[in-house]
Amino acid sequence: MTASEPTSVSVNNLTVKFGDFTAVKNISFTVQKGEIFGFLGANGAGKTTTIRVLCGLLTPTSGHVQITDISSEQGIEAMKSKVGYMSQKFTLYNDLTIEENFAFTASLRKISKAKLKQRTKELLEFINFKKPINTLVKDLPGGIKQQVSLAASILHDPEILFLDEPTAGVTPVARALFWALIRKLSSNGKTVFVTTHYMDEAEQCGRIALMRTGEIIALDTLQNLKDNTFPDPLYELNPKNSMPDDLLQNLRNNPSIASVESYGMKYHLIVRDPDKWDNVRNEISNYFDIRQIPPSLEDVFIRLVEGDSR
Amino acid sequence: MNFEFSLRRTLSIAKKERFHILRDPFTLTMATVLPVLLVLIFGLAIEFNVKDIGLTVYDSDRTLSSRKLTEVFISSQYFKIKSTNGSIIDAISDLDSEQSKASLIIKPDFEHNLQSTGNANTQFLLDGADNSTAGVIMGYLSGIQQAASFKLKGQKVKPAIELKTRYLYNPELSSPWFIVPGLAVVIIAILSILLTALTVAREWENGSMELLLSTPVQPIEIIVGKLIPYTIIGLAGVMLVVLVAIFGFGLPFAGNIFLFGIGSLIFLIACLAQGMLISVLIRTQQLSMQIAMVTGLLPSLLLSGFIFPSESMPLFFQRFTSILPSKWFMIISRGIFLKGATLADLKLPFLSLIILCSILILAATKKFKKDLEP
Repeated sequence: MTASEPTSVSVNNLTVKFGDFTAVKNISFTVQKGEIFGFLGANGAGKTTTIRVLCGLLTPTSGHVQITDISSEQGIEAMKSKVGYMSQKFTLYNDLTIEENFAFTASLRKISKAKLKQRTKELLEFINFKKPINTLVKDLPGGIKQQVSLAASILHDPEILFLDEPTAGVTPVARALFWALIRKLSSNGKTVFVTTHYMDEAEQCGRIALMRTGEIIALDTLQNLKDNTFPDPLYELNPKNSMPDDLLQNLRNNPSIASVESYGMKYHLIVRDPDKWDNVRNEISNYFDIRQIPPSLEDVFIRLVEGDSR
Repeated sequence: MNFEFSLRRTLSIAKKERFHILRDPFTLTMATVLPVLLVLIFGLAIEFNVKDIGLTVYDSDRTLSSRKLTEVFISSQYFKIKSTNGSIIDAISDLDSEQSKASLIIKPDFEHNLQSTGNANTQFLLDGADNSTAGVIMGYLSGIQQAASFKLKGQKVKPAIELKTRYLYNPELSSPWFIVPGLAVVIIAILSILLTALTVAREWENGSMELLLSTPVQPIEIIVGKLIPYTIIGLAGVMLVVLVAIFGFGLPFAGNIFLFGIGSLIFLIACLAQGMLISVLIRTQQLSMQIAMVTGLLPSLLLSGFIFPSESMPLFFQRFTSILPSKWFMIISRGIFLKGATLADLKLPFLSLIILCSILILAATKKFKKDLEP
């Protein structure tokens, strides 16, 4: 653990069970202040459950959670004032105006009128909102809604912000804008905890935790994840035209090759024994254009999450 | 659990709910059109005093006496006479084909027997398949019997014991007088249970419940905050029914209107809390609505004594209906409306209503899960 920044979130041996089903199995990790922490995994991997525990929306079955200087034993309500939460579903009221939504959230959190006015101004500037504040939320375009929702979730100026798939279903442009906001928050010292399905978004996170069936199977910076998962070189094979039917099968059975995965029309090949690779490369160069590539997060994800379960 | 109640949060929930109601055409329509519709349907359409009953007369005697007997039925104004000259079979087949509800069959020796022995029998067939109409006709028959004896023999039959009956509170036994005070009960029950059954379920469906729960808001604040605007709508509905009852149907308002208002308020809150409980337990709007219909509409229509008196139900149901707020408010509503009952008369119903109301609010609050466990 680096001593430079204080710990913002710390999770120790967290387990959450719903009846017989274990959604989260004994996970532990810490997040530093100001970090953008990514949570990656398939649906049902336990990302949302973990976030809900951290927001005080679920009581853990066992384990310990600490948000800044408040631990789960000190009560859920105390935790709620430290965190902001933006859930998967769009949670603002469509039939209320932006102003009414903000005022409602503010009154639930006992924010004073003056403070609300000041925060509203700040936040609307922050998200660069130009429309009148008495616009009904349902009349806003999807990307703007998402930004307003973000603003509402940080109305009480929380130290940690949890975003559960914040950009699901918005346009790429809106996603890019949204991530600019996330980076701005992080540079202001806010801790941002984000789950996503998009690999390009995950690549913008400082550290990434990969979850599968309730467990964290990898947690590191992007570069370390790539280096650790792919110590051996990775090649992209681009088929020239036709190839023998059993060629791929033979490659997969070749002991000097770790794996061959299809990526659309192309293939990603991982070498196990670099000494013998040159021979193999010569054999198949008639059929493929071959070039070495750096692994993408997607490669890492597939190798760790799906390759593992095969 | 540390109990914390914030008036500001409660009121802001109430305020937010007001926006929802005012901006949702469905809720507004339901809240205003439904009571009016129900008053019209029940107040005008339901008539327990049956008139123009089809009566087939098969007169095989054809004498002065038999014609006088038929005239008695006609002059009672309850019956629409259809004479048949065919056979006795026709008189019965009219019942089969629903053309008549009853048949009067006068035998050939009717006048002869009457004059020789002073006693004559005649047959009256009733369609027992529809037993509510049959019951009403039975009620008319005793009066007709007396009128017939008087007309045919010129003297009044004196029964050994004569009961002098006078109807109190509703001297003309007018159906609207009986129905409309009860209608207040049904309207409040349906409207409030239905409206509130949707509100919490809607928050779950829209995902806004997660927003609520991620703030320090307490279940009791959500429940009470949501109850406030619906209470106002409900009271407006009650006022509408009372006005229609007095000015539309000419009911006397015998009791204390203030006491009636308090009774309505308690009952209203009980119903709203019941709807809230459904909504808290069932997290989808559609299912909530169906359950609200079954638990709100059916008991208040059928088991509350609105039409069918609970005294005539089997003992189990008599006991069972005591857990229905609608039964108690039915007693309160009719009592105050028609009889001018006082709080002292209505101690038990008021007490029961308050207890049921408290239980329902408590249950809704308790069952309100503060976590998102699926």
